[in-house]
Amino acid sequence: MGTVPGQAIFTDVPVVPPKRVGLMRKVYRSRADYLYVLPAIVVMLIVIAYPVYYTIELSFFKTPASLQLKDKVFIGLDNYAYLLQLPAFWKVTVQTLIWTVSSTLFAFVLGLGCALALHREFVGRGILRALLLIPWVVSAVAASYVWKWLYHSDFGAIGALAVQLGLTSEPINFVDNVQTALPSLIVVNIWKEFSFAMIMLMAGLQTVPDQLLRAAQVDGANAWQRFWHVTFPHLSGVSMVTVLLLTVQNFNSFIIPFIMTGGGPVGSTHIWITHIYEFAFQRQQWGRGSAYAVLLFLIMVLLGYFYVRALTRGDSSRAGS
Amino acid sequence: MTALKRTASVSIAALLSTTMVFTATGVSYGQSVDLSQWSPEYVKSIAGTATYDTAKDCGAVVPNDYTGKVSYWYTGPFEADPQIAHDQDKAFWEAFKVAYPNITADVQSIPYNDLLDKFRTSLLGNAAPMVVRLQILGGVEFAAKGYLEPLKPEDVGYSSADFWPGALKSVTWEGTGYGIPTNNETMGFIWNAKIFADAGLDPEKPPATWDDVVAYSKQIHDKLGIAGYGLVAKQNAGNTPFRFMPTIWAYGGGAFDEAGENPTYGASELNSEGTKKALQAAYDMYVRDKSVPTSALTNTQGENQAPFIAGQLAMMIAHPAEYARMTDLASKATGADKATADAVVENMRYGLIPAGPARRAVVFGGSNIHVIKSDYVEGGMDEQAVKALICMWTSPEWSTKLSWVGSNPGHLGGFKTQWMKERLDTIKFLDVTTSMLPSGIPFPVLPYAPEIMNIIVPDMMQNALTGAMTVEEAANDAAAKVEELKASQ
Amino acid sequence: MSTMTAGDRPVARRKFDGWRWSGRVFLAFMLFFTVMPMAWMLITSLKTGFAAMQYPPQWWPAEPTLDNYTRLVDPRSKVGQDFLRYFWNSMFVSTVSTVLAVVVAVPAAYAFSRFRFPGRNFLFFAVLMRNMFPAVIFLVPLFILMRLLGLANTHGSLVITYLTFGLPLAIWLLKGFYDNIPIQLEQAARIDGATRFQAFFFIVMPLSTPGIIATAIYSFIGAWNEYIYAYTFLTKHEQLTLPVGIQRFFSENATDWPGLMAATFMMSVPVVVLFLVLQKYFVRALTEGAVKH
Repeated sequence: MGTVPGQAIFTDVPVVPPKRVGLMRKVYRSRADYLYVLPAIVVMLIVIAYPVYYTIELSFFKTPASLQLKDKVFIGLDNYAYLLQLPAFWKVTVQTLIWTVSSTLFAFVLGLGCALALHREFVGRGILRALLLIPWVVSAVAASYVWKWLYHSDFGAIGALAVQLGLTSEPINFVDNVQTALPSLIVVNIWKEFSFAMIMLMAGLQTVPDQLLRAAQVDGANAWQRFWHVTFPHLSGVSMVTVLLLTVQNFNSFIIPFIMTGGGPVGSTHIWITHIYEFAFQRQQWGRGSAYAVLLFLIMVLLGYFYVRALTRGDSSRAGS
Repeated sequence: MTALKRTASVSIAALLSTTMVFTATGVSYGQSVDLSQWSPEYVKSIAGTATYDTAKDCGAVVPNDYTGKVSYWYTGPFEADPQIAHDQDKAFWEAFKVAYPNITADVQSIPYNDLLDKFRTSLLGNAAPMVVRLQILGGVEFAAKGYLEPLKPEDVGYSSADFWPGALKSVTWEGTGYGIPTNNETMGFIWNAKIFADAGLDPEKPPATWDDVVAYSKQIHDKLGIAGYGLVAKQNAGNTPFRFMPTIWAYGGGAFDEAGENPTYGASELNSEGTKKALQAAYDMYVRDKSVPTSALTNTQGENQAPFIAGQLAMMIAHPAEYARMTDLASKATGADKATADAVVENMRYGLIPAGPARRAVVFGGSNIHVIKSDYVEGGMDEQAVKALICMWTSPEWSTKLSWVGSNPGHLGGFKTQWMKERLDTIKFLDVTTSMLPSGIPFPVLPYAPEIMNIIVPDMMQNALTGAMTVEEAANDAAAKVEELKASQ
Repeated sequence: MSTMTAGDRPVARRKFDGWRWSGRVFLAFMLFFTVMPMAWMLITSLKTGFAAMQYPPQWWPAEPTLDNYTRLVDPRSKVGQDFLRYFWNSMFVSTVSTVLAVVVAVPAAYAFSRFRFPGRNFLFFAVLMRNMFPAVIFLVPLFILMRLLGLANTHGSLVITYLTFGLPLAIWLLKGFYDNIPIQLEQAARIDGATRFQAFFFIVMPLSTPGIIATAIYSFIGAWNEYIYAYTFLTKHEQLTLPVGIQRFFSENATDWPGLMAATFMMSVPVVVLFLVLQKYFVRALTEGAVKH
């Protein structure tokens, strides 16, 4: 530990550059620092390391129908080859992209709209904001049940309302139709997620300096120009993080399709994650399910790279300041 | 309603004289109940003729003062089930406590659609219970995979002759029994007489054949604008095959040759003419006539009650429990609801499931109780306690009481108990489902039958009904999937 | 889309403001979109099982009843006992995971902000990557692991898992807070003789209270609503949490929609109330800790 109190806080700050100190010595010297992060790292290891190892290993094996994994047979990359030639895999991939991109896009745009519209003071703003935040807080399980009940093709409130208003002659078929099932589920997902985008962007908006906007107004910029040239650039950082978080969440969302349609009809609402579940749990092809999961990992790692970059943007400039 | 009973019994007599499905299995000798005489009248005549002292009978197998513990998973009554099911379940555990005061029972009731997934996961983690009750489709899967201990009625003091031969067959894998039937069930056909009358049909007469169902459904839809037949086609909800396989079998199709006398499970018959006709019938109702609920593709049977009770659905294959559920609902309704509810219940009729060109068929359903090998059991095995529980559960008394609203006792002696008499007296239409028992066809006794029934068959329906494939293509595709699945075993 | 940003506020506007009106219309639409499902949930929950099965639906129950609610909270009925037990389990698991998440996240975030130990960046990224991994795939390996740790079928298995959901956001958020707190404060404390830990604990941590509250809310909501791990890890009925427990309103042959809707509503109340009470901290924490550069 340091001798000068002020510097001691930074055991490793390059005030006195520690030239060519061996890594082990550096680690040893910072041993107290590790205690602070140790609990976090340990839980992470428990919950992630073993499952990742297990999944990657299984993806190279043919698992027996008996579920007795000691009888598994090494088959190299066959599981991957099988998946990549499977038409259903590509169909589900397209659906996953549609699901992820449109959920993210609409949740973000609606969230941004709400954040902007709520930014100005008006009577009832607090209540309105509170109400709009509820979907994000409500569990996905609850949301799925409620929407399942609303959409019900013969019995749902939306269909019945449409009939009573004379919009359609018979209840609208939302989820029993190959064309509309996925979009209907995306609406539910957007309902669930737009509040998250809203709250992130609301926070972001508070950082936009008033003087800049006023200056722009004095310079004759109209509302759109002010938004585009002043507000939006200030939101770019938080927007990036929000979009990435939503993307990751949407790739991984399971509950809404699982509870509402179970992937049907004819697999039209399967996304990767529900398809993996079907392989692993319902058809007990653990090897194939694991290979599928590893493919999903790879995408996630790529997204994760951008996510971490977005999160740590400006980190270096702040560090040690 | 008397008209119904007459119709039902006439049809039963006709049925018995022509097909005799159950005697064809050849083991009807030495039964404690004479299966060759099976008819609603016979069932009524034997009810209440015998008494049992269950605690004492089981005490002869496992002493009543035995000290131990047993763990058990099953699908018990849940929130939506009628009150009587809850009461009987509670009564059983009290009786068990009285009969075996020193056995601690660790009991978990797991919802129907979750039980298989949870049981499989627990086996992977060696965290299974000692005893599990699975629906009829599940047992062989786990027996074939080596998870179950051999178990036959003799192990707990009963005789194999005390159980339906078909039911015992469904727990037999490669010649060894791996479970004991707890209850056997067959479904019946339920319809709304008022809707029939409004549509110009005979309100007291159910459709005799599946072709009639298609025609009735269309007539009802065209005349009244509501759904005729309650089709269900959701994937991976156990009750889809229970509603569709009877149609397939009736037209002469099948997953394999399971509808025949001595099934060999050779080539898949999902691409047979019979299956295609059944699929065509579903297609005609769903796509051509639009005479069935649109929600069929995402619905489980539980959700068909809503339109039925609201008078928006005219007929469906129904489980006896659904009748109990609806009368239970009606009895709790108040005010204006009460009148509507009573009207629907009043108009409810129960009859035989329609026949087809090949036969009249229904799924021979039910549940079996199994013992798990100790390697996979959390905390090891207690064989005596396990036997005590199974003896109590499969006894004439409790196999009757525990299947009060839903099905029939697994132990044939149950039909002779006073409780069977009470059920016959209080549950209308019970004799219709007991009458269907002889038309019961078990699912293929194969370890991969669950995947065929819960995934491949519903997929076939969805492919045809959404127009993703033609009927022909969907049936061929399903048969190919079955062959592929079989080859991968 | 509205762009009525802060800049408009001080300027008095007399002429018709298209942006403002479109903003209002948009908000009205969003309000309807948000509230409609919840309203229908409430209305359905006030119906009898029978009334819910009418078509066309009763837009307002002909005979509204609170039976579905009284049944859920009545400790004498079986349904009530079950529901209250699930509720308590959810409360217990969520609270414990939240407390632990804060205890774990605060020092880690502090260390990532202040210290420069080898592997810092790698570890920080590793923590942030946690949410990249889809839950479903991990179910079986984690279940097996929990067995080995002796945690299967205990709330401990859920606590450990839930704890890690909130960590990435929590650590990132709190790190942002600590980055913005001037080190001079700690230096002054150290001069006064405080140890490094004391300086952190007594000086820095209190300043990050909004961040800690936000972290706690986030963790609590995540744990309260979690379904798939609870579905897999727990079998014992007396240990189930609410999202899994309410599935019991479905059975093979019957669905109790009003009961389900009432249970869903009751399940949502605690988190919604908690969040509404504390949401201003959440926004503030995001603003100060994460968004501001």
